[in-house]
Amino acid sequence: MFPQFGATAETLSKASTLVFRIGTDAHLYDDPEDANIAPLLDSKFDSEKCEALKRLLALIAQGVDVSNFFPQVVKNVASQSLEVKKLVYLYLLHYAEKRPNEALLSINCFQKDLGDPNPLVRAWALRAMAGIRLLVIAPIVLVAVEKCARDPSVYVRKCAANALPKLHDLRIEENTPALEEIVGILLNDHSPGVVGAAAAAFTSVCPNNLSLIGRNYRRLCEALPDVEEWGQILLIEILLRFVIAKHGLVQESIMFQSCCTESSQSEKDGSDVNSAFEEDNGDTGCDFMSELVNMVSRCYIEGPDEYLSRLSYINEVSSGLDRSCFMSGRSNDDVKMLLQCTSPLLWSHNSAVVLAAAGVHWIMAPREDVKRIVKPLLFLLRSSHASKYVVLCNIQVFAKAMPFFFAPHFEDFFICSSESYQIKALKLEILSSIAMDSSISSIFQEFQDYIRDPDRRFAADTVAAIGLCAQRLPKVANICLEGLLALTREEYLIGDFVCMDEETNILIQAIMSIEAILKQDPPAHEKVIVQLVRSLDSIKVPAARAIIIWIIGEYNTIGEIIPRMLTTVLTYLARCFASEAQETKLQILNTAVKVLLCAKGKDLWTFKSVLSYVLELAKCDLNYDVRDRAHILKELMSCYLGQDLEEETDCLPRKDIPQILAECIFRGQRKPMSPEPINFRFYLPGSLSQIVLHAAPGYEPLPKPCSLLSNDLHQRLNVVGSGEGATNSDSYETDDPDRLSQSANEESTSGYSSQNSISGSSGSDVPGSESEDDDNVDPLIRFSDVGISNKKQNGVSRSGSDSMEELMSKQTLESWLDEQPSLSDPNLSKQSQVRRSSARISIGDIGGRVKPKIYGLLDPTNGNGLRVNYSFSSEISSMSPQLVCVELIFENCSAESMSKVLLVDEESNKGLDSADQSLVATER
Amino acid sequence: MLQCIFLLSDSGEVMLEKQLTGHRVDRSICDWFWEQTVSQADSTKLPPVIASPTHYIFQITREGITFLACTQVEMPPLMGIEFLCRVADVLSDYLGGLNEDVIKDNFVIVYELLDEMIDNGFPLTTEPNILREMIAPPNIVSKVLGVMTGNSSNVSNTLPGATASCVPWRSTEPKHANNEVYVDLLEEMDAVINRDGILVKCEIYGEVEVNSHLSGLPDLTLSFANPSILNDVRFHPCVRFRPWESNNILSFVPPDGQFKLMSYRVKKLKSTPIYVKPQLTSDAGTCRLSVLVGIRNDPGKTIDSVTVQFQLLPCILSANLSSNHGTVSILANKTCSWSIGRIPKDKAPSLSGTLTLETGMERLHVFPTFQVGFRIMGVALSGLQIDTLDIKNLPSRPYKGFRALTQAGQYEVRS
Repeated sequence: MFPQFGATAETLSKASTLVFRIGTDAHLYDDPEDANIAPLLDSKFDSEKCEALKRLLALIAQGVDVSNFFPQVVKNVASQSLEVKKLVYLYLLHYAEKRPNEALLSINCFQKDLGDPNPLVRAWALRAMAGIRLLVIAPIVLVAVEKCARDPSVYVRKCAANALPKLHDLRIEENTPALEEIVGILLNDHSPGVVGAAAAAFTSVCPNNLSLIGRNYRRLCEALPDVEEWGQILLIEILLRFVIAKHGLVQESIMFQSCCTESSQSEKDGSDVNSAFEEDNGDTGCDFMSELVNMVSRCYIEGPDEYLSRLSYINEVSSGLDRSCFMSGRSNDDVKMLLQCTSPLLWSHNSAVVLAAAGVHWIMAPREDVKRIVKPLLFLLRSSHASKYVVLCNIQVFAKAMPFFFAPHFEDFFICSSESYQIKALKLEILSSIAMDSSISSIFQEFQDYIRDPDRRFAADTVAAIGLCAQRLPKVANICLEGLLALTREEYLIGDFVCMDEETNILIQAIMSIEAILKQDPPAHEKVIVQLVRSLDSIKVPAARAIIIWIIGEYNTIGEIIPRMLTTVLTYLARCFASEAQETKLQILNTAVKVLLCAKGKDLWTFKSVLSYVLELAKCDLNYDVRDRAHILKELMSCYLGQDLEEETDCLPRKDIPQILAECIFRGQRKPMSPEPINFRFYLPGSLSQIVLHAAPGYEPLPKPCSLLSNDLHQRLNVVGSGEGATNSDSYETDDPDRLSQSANEESTSGYSSQNSISGSSGSDVPGSESEDDDNVDPLIRFSDVGISNKKQNGVSRSGSDSMEELMSKQTLESWLDEQPSLSDPNLSKQSQVRRSSARISIGDIGGRVKPKIYGLLDPTNGNGLRVNYSFSSEISSMSPQLVCVELIFENCSAESMSKVLLVDEESNKGLDSADQSLVATER
Repeated sequence: MLQCIFLLSDSGEVMLEKQLTGHRVDRSICDWFWEQTVSQADSTKLPPVIASPTHYIFQITREGITFLACTQVEMPPLMGIEFLCRVADVLSDYLGGLNEDVIKDNFVIVYELLDEMIDNGFPLTTEPNILREMIAPPNIVSKVLGVMTGNSSNVSNTLPGATASCVPWRSTEPKHANNEVYVDLLEEMDAVINRDGILVKCEIYGEVEVNSHLSGLPDLTLSFANPSILNDVRFHPCVRFRPWESNNILSFVPPDGQFKLMSYRVKKLKSTPIYVKPQLTSDAGTCRLSVLVGIRNDPGKTIDSVTVQFQLLPCILSANLSSNHGTVSILANKTCSWSIGRIPKDKAPSLSGTLTLETGMERLHVFPTFQVGFRIMGVALSGLQIDTLDIKNLPSRPYKGFRALTQAGQYEVRS
């Protein structure tokens, strides 16, 4: 076909098969194995090598394991063609970890390439060399990085910065100082491009070594606008952390306001620190708001897990934020500079940069200046759908804490039908928290449209949002109630014919909203209750009926009209009792009792007969819940039911126990609802944790204000990783070698660092023999081990630890550095006093100072990992009858040995009788 | 930092995997993800950030292709999402659109691009102009050449000079025979008209697109006649902040080729160029629908490609619709689409017909929302006007061109 070009037979066939997809690599992807790859790799023509490599790449793309070609591919690393090189690197990096020995063959070539005059070749060589991640060559790579960090080419220096995290990933402790030094050099680079990459390296290599930033702070601020967008995102955060650690928070900022109110109030109360719940009792909307802001700022600094746990259990810890943590932002140049250099970034076209810059202003800017973040944030909503969701999640927090900022812009949160459900729900929530008296009418106008939206789940959410608005703005409560009542009547018409789930949900939601609004001021809304009762006949949905019946019982004494209606209503309920659903039956029983307890005079007899009638019916009900309820109520109410009318008068003096119980249960005055216990979790704006609402591994709250001045030395220690223990949370988190691979469903340990944690060493546990436990440790949880290699180590006696060390691979040994399992017997006595006892029991191998190594629990991707089976055993704990024994069986399914298994019990935030256990076990 | 990037086809097949760090991510995570997608019926309904049992997943969908990235540690989620968007932009720019075939056909280029764009989970080179210099986009000439000579290297042998310069977005010293620069105002009108026919929200989202083919290192200054109407702005990194802050002037050294100089928003517009009046009355199991469309405010140019779309509700069994102008079609996913084209001078286009409701249903209680589309060439409806464009540092006088275009964005009429 092309003889004049000297085409080979191969190119001819290529041309014929590719009439349509000329010149693309389509045939390689479709049929990667139709040629024999091995000989092509050994070919002396670059084009044939290329083809073979492309075929291998196609197989990788399709998920086929082609690591068996590794030796042949590695040979080609010496090729002069850049394309071959690139393809070889792509292959190499994919498989290097699987074939470490063969990968070593390529090192010489890389070293040669590092001296190449072409910066592209140098950069690629460095990238590939650092990317293959072999412990053996780490020293060579380190030298190469050091050299490249001083390379004349910006691109190579950038790649050197990117190589640092790769080296740091290998967790070789003795390299850390060298790595940090290089980070310092690169942060000092005059090219903004390098600074951005260096910021990324800083974040992963030594995020706590803020003294490195101190040297270059001003230069970094000035360079910030010119740094590449991705670097900006991280650099902004680093600078923020630095300023807080050095100078503390800003007096004029939102974060301060709240703390001030708290400290003033605590002085008034005369207690050290008052819990949030105390403060809530004197609630007004405003108090709640400042409380919320206070929480936000605390969460930013302490991390929500720690903050919340402290809040609910321990009142003795003094707050970390007193006035000394604050300084005036107006007089501080560093703060001014930070704000100044981040404010133009609010115009960035990268939404992540805008959000990061907004976060800085949110935390550091004076109150009056925080407003400037509002418009850029809202403008982000017009970018891609994906970023819209993340931005809304962040705005939601801002809007909750500072509704005034967003209130004028309510129109931006109006909903388009094309948006996804999550976005709609977020917008609704924001709308209901920023609604003001001035905007509420327009918002309601919108809500009315939303109720008619074809997405019924969204419509139900809208109904709920109306309820929320009415609770926030009591002025509109009446309008809301009217609207909701109208809705219940309307939906009934629909619900009758098309009994669809979604429609009933709307109805139920409407009734629930009404109920929530009523709760705020029942006497004022007497008419609404009357109307609800009237509509009882037409509403058929059991859940909705149950709520209405509950309302009748709850508010049966209110006003004039309701008591007069009661006889009719109760007879009606009694008549239709048999045909009701279970939940409605239960509510009818309750209501009948409540009404009877409150009743006086001539109606009493009617109520009594109604109650005994429904109790009789209920006793023969098919459902055992209803039957049980009937039996209980019958017992409780026996004195009322048994009495004759004449005896009624002396009933009061001789109350017996069932009677008192009944009074307590059914007439107990409802406490004024304290605003729902605030346990929102706030994470730093723009963080992943804020989106998924749990602390992602590696999440760190802001540094302690003003911590940098005093403990520069301490920082040093942290980084080196000594002094790790239960008390030193910072180093524990950041230097943790395998924190990266910690599975997502495991809670971060950040919450546990400053709680009273008890580190002790327990003896070896034998399954089923709890009493054999080491006497100075509470056997909160028993372990048992399956698996030969997992023989438990006794922390005190070193028996067997020597032989175990031999079993361990060298690699693990090297990463097991510097943890002293602390033996803190004196602490143990505290345990009984503290309600939330969080025990960290190190069943330690005392032999070495060990770093925690954490494995993904039962990694579903490959099936090997740690399998945990647990069961609740029926035997009663020997410690306390209130404790429950949990039997955990750890099974090591992977080939490697495991150590430092961390067990965290998070459930007991409610703290009833379950003890909290966080448990670190070193075992092998 | 990101650990892995997957590209999924619209059927859930993993087309490509690129491991970024030593912590490998097994591709079984994609199966997990796809199960979630299937259970949600649509990947656009899944949130863009998902906490799977083992990883945090960031995902975006572009033209049926799902870009998926995984991480296990804390990182700014928007960074992951923005990066994926950038990858999608670059790929669709290189390959002239995105679909399953074109990605498979050019998988080597995709790999090379990904390798250059991200290193160890941190973005490396994302500037499209620089990428073009490092990795040649596939074009007909190189393809044919490749077929004939069997040598098809698309990897550049040298490092683009721009990586070292202080304007990293501009390739060094490009030479053009004709110096020309085009500035386009592309606007989208977002509007919401509520059930009562009141204009609830009407705003313009606009972009200034610049296509520059200028030699050397030119310095451009663009000023608007009425910058005060701009409510919000975002800029390309090339725009200097100071002149904007002080005088609302855009001063920049442009990248070579097409780029988005700025995007802006103009809020609280008072009226829309066309009106769409839907009316639904339902009784006794049938629903009468009529939609009227007409020109409200003549923008002075022709209004093109007018379309009206709405979703037929699930409770509608059948529809019988006809129009006096344009064509009506009902698509497979129960979307009714009425394309009008130009609005004629003599009559107002109208769509009318009856919808049959589900048995047992008397009347409609939920109402569809109508999405309106239109296009007006030559007009920026926001009223934004370019005042001057000065070009310094250029020996010859370049050709300057200006255009404007307004389209409907999220233009919704509720009924």
